[in-house]
Amino acid sequence: MGCSSSVPARSTGGLNTISNDSSPATDSKDLRAKLVLLGDSGVGKSCIVLRFVRGQFDPTSKVTVGASFLSQTLALEDSTIVKFEIWDTAGQERYAALAPLYYRGAAAAIVVYDITSPESFSKAQYWVKELQKHGSPGIVMVLVGNKADLHDNRSVSSQDAQDYAEKNNMFFIETSAKTADNINQLFEEIAKRLPRPTAS
Amino acid sequence: MDPHNPNPTPTDAPSPPAESAARLAALSLRGTRDLPPDFHTAEIHDLDDDDDDDDEGYLTAASRGGSSTSAWKEAPEGLHDDDKDGDDVSQPSPSSSGYAGERGSSLDDDPDPEPAQDWPRDKKHLHEDDASSSWRKRKKHFFILSNSGKPIYSRYGDEHKLAGFSATLQAIISFVENSGDHIKFVRAGKHQIVFLVKGPIYLVCISCTEESYEGLRGQLELMYGQLLLILTKSVNRCFEKNPRFDMATLLGGTDAVFQSLIHAFSWNPATFLHAYTCLPLAQSTRQAASAVLQDVADSGVLFVLLMCEHKVISLVGAQKATLHPDDILLLANFILSSESFRTSESFVPICLPRYNPMAYLHAYVHFFDEHTYVALLTTRSDAFYDLKDSRARIQNVLLKSNVLIEVQRSLHENALCVEDLPTDPSSQSASHPPESSRDMNSQSLSSEMAIGGPGGLWHFIYKSVYLDQFVSSEFPSPISNKKQQKRLYKAYQKLYASMHDKATGPHKTQYRRDEDYVLFCWITQDFELYAAFNPLADKTQAIKMCNRVCQWVRDLENEIFVYGESALSWQYHRCWGGI
Repeated sequence: MGCSSSVPARSTGGLNTISNDSSPATDSKDLRAKLVLLGDSGVGKSCIVLRFVRGQFDPTSKVTVGASFLSQTLALEDSTIVKFEIWDTAGQERYAALAPLYYRGAAAAIVVYDITSPESFSKAQYWVKELQKHGSPGIVMVLVGNKADLHDNRSVSSQDAQDYAEKNNMFFIETSAKTADNINQLFEEIAKRLPRPTAS
Repeated sequence: MDPHNPNPTPTDAPSPPAESAARLAALSLRGTRDLPPDFHTAEIHDLDDDDDDDDEGYLTAASRGGSSTSAWKEAPEGLHDDDKDGDDVSQPSPSSSGYAGERGSSLDDDPDPEPAQDWPRDKKHLHEDDASSSWRKRKKHFFILSNSGKPIYSRYGDEHKLAGFSATLQAIISFVENSGDHIKFVRAGKHQIVFLVKGPIYLVCISCTEESYEGLRGQLELMYGQLLLILTKSVNRCFEKNPRFDMATLLGGTDAVFQSLIHAFSWNPATFLHAYTCLPLAQSTRQAASAVLQDVADSGVLFVLLMCEHKVISLVGAQKATLHPDDILLLANFILSSESFRTSESFVPICLPRYNPMAYLHAYVHFFDEHTYVALLTTRSDAFYDLKDSRARIQNVLLKSNVLIEVQRSLHENALCVEDLPTDPSSQSASHPPESSRDMNSQSLSSEMAIGGPGGLWHFIYKSVYLDQFVSSEFPSPISNKKQQKRLYKAYQKLYASMHDKATGPHKTQYRRDEDYVLFCWITQDFELYAAFNPLADKTQAIKMCNRVCQWVRDLENEIFVYGESALSWQYHRCWGGI
């Protein structure tokens, strides 16, 4: 049953990986997936997670420190249950060096930028490159343009982002944690793209 | 004594050699002239904008680390101003420079009326810079800058707009360092400018709050400790590689942490006592918590802290690992001022500057409820799931043993009130029924509620020297508002500084009376007692009350102190010897 961990463990030397292989899944239909969010500070990573996990949106800005851990289960139409173990990382520069701790061994990575901020889009490209170099092989990568509700102030065009995503073999979606637009779709798409365990 | 110096220090330092005195005179002149004119104004004390008491400004939670589009000022405009509006320092002279070596703390008790308002956590007044009159009128500024003069942090205003001001501060520091000396503080009228140099990082406080040099310097040390907690001392290497390194971006999002620490300087005695305080709990309750914490520590965790707000419920360290009270203060401040910890469990690199300033530890932080949280510290970066399991174990025990409920109850009820001070059975003047004593939950309804405790006792702080712990009483009605409480803390800070003055002390007792209080301090090798009485209190009675407070604390020791945890179990049995 290869369900206890959705990703092959990387036992290469270097930085340690946060992983939990201790609790086996109960059903072969169940998937556990480590998911990491990366992106510049203030783009709304925590808001996306909190909207998905708790259905909440808090407009006051709460700067994430280090990384927050949350989990949420998602049932797919094909009755697969996916349990996301989500690492919501801090966007601040001082934590950049620690990112490998969180993205190593991740089955999926959400790279977030703010559609009103070209700087955050460049930062997103930096993270994509970093994940391509050092992320798990076969990691599902998603490019997310958040704050879609602020389309009047848009400064990153959907087409540019779409082109970039296609070039890098990523799924692209624009979301709004504030209005909940596309948030569930985002996680469903990731769940669908996760590699299924080979049946025993 | 210089006739122009309105604040002569009681202990003038030996004068420096003539040549350097002349240089200092020049410095003094430059130093005061560099200040914006409002720094000299005498009416500064009338302004209601001290420290935390701001009612303007706007939310700036995520204010740092962003790009600044604001204009950089060339230099403070005060540079070219004349000093005509500064009665106090219109003609700075060598002896008014206040460069008084180790000493020079003023003991004047000049009550400083301040407004009572709640602390606006996110207000930083980003629209201000050194050209704004509101900025200049702030009573207490804190700056962190690099040795190349780059701003790193400012309590008020946008750091990027304060580049010119930072450069001025840097110039003052390096001017003195170039002569092989180093600067400690400068007096300019009612203002004291205190400097702390930590390698490539400079910390400066400009204050007209009448606090002692030692007190302000201690606050700068804590600011530096907070910076290390976030970045470790290895940040110095960035400056070795690039002297123009912009450290401000590395501190992105931490404004609230520093604001909260600065606020603590005016309400939390731990900031000057270098001791921590515990949440009062029944001994059995605390033991239940300590036992499971010890289990967890034995499984390979370096430190386990169970806290309620700033108060320790229990803490345990791995063998031989000890936690300094300042580290507890800075860690609690970091956790409590970073909102995201309350949202979900977190795994965060932090440095305990007193434990090891060079290295990060990894902290797992989880809030059980609004006030109560656990912090598990380890050296292993991959320990998250182990720590998460440990937390679940701790949580189970806390729930089963009702610890969390007891904590909530203690938070609301178990405060030490001077009204409850047990009556001395032999005392005729006692107005308390003896049965109300020693019950920490009892609510005294006697008339003394209105005037404080017996013998005119208003408030006390008791520090156990061996335990590095203190207890303080609740504030009674005579000092019920924030402004009065803050004033009392400042009085305690001064008392502390004068008692521990290296040049004239240490002292054993001090009794002083002014229009606000009678203050009494008593230091033995086992404890330090700081007590405030109403200004008409009788001295003999006051001393009697102090003895009763000590006896009372001794009677309650098992509930108000944490004992025997391996992290801090130094000689606790000696604690009560020889009172």
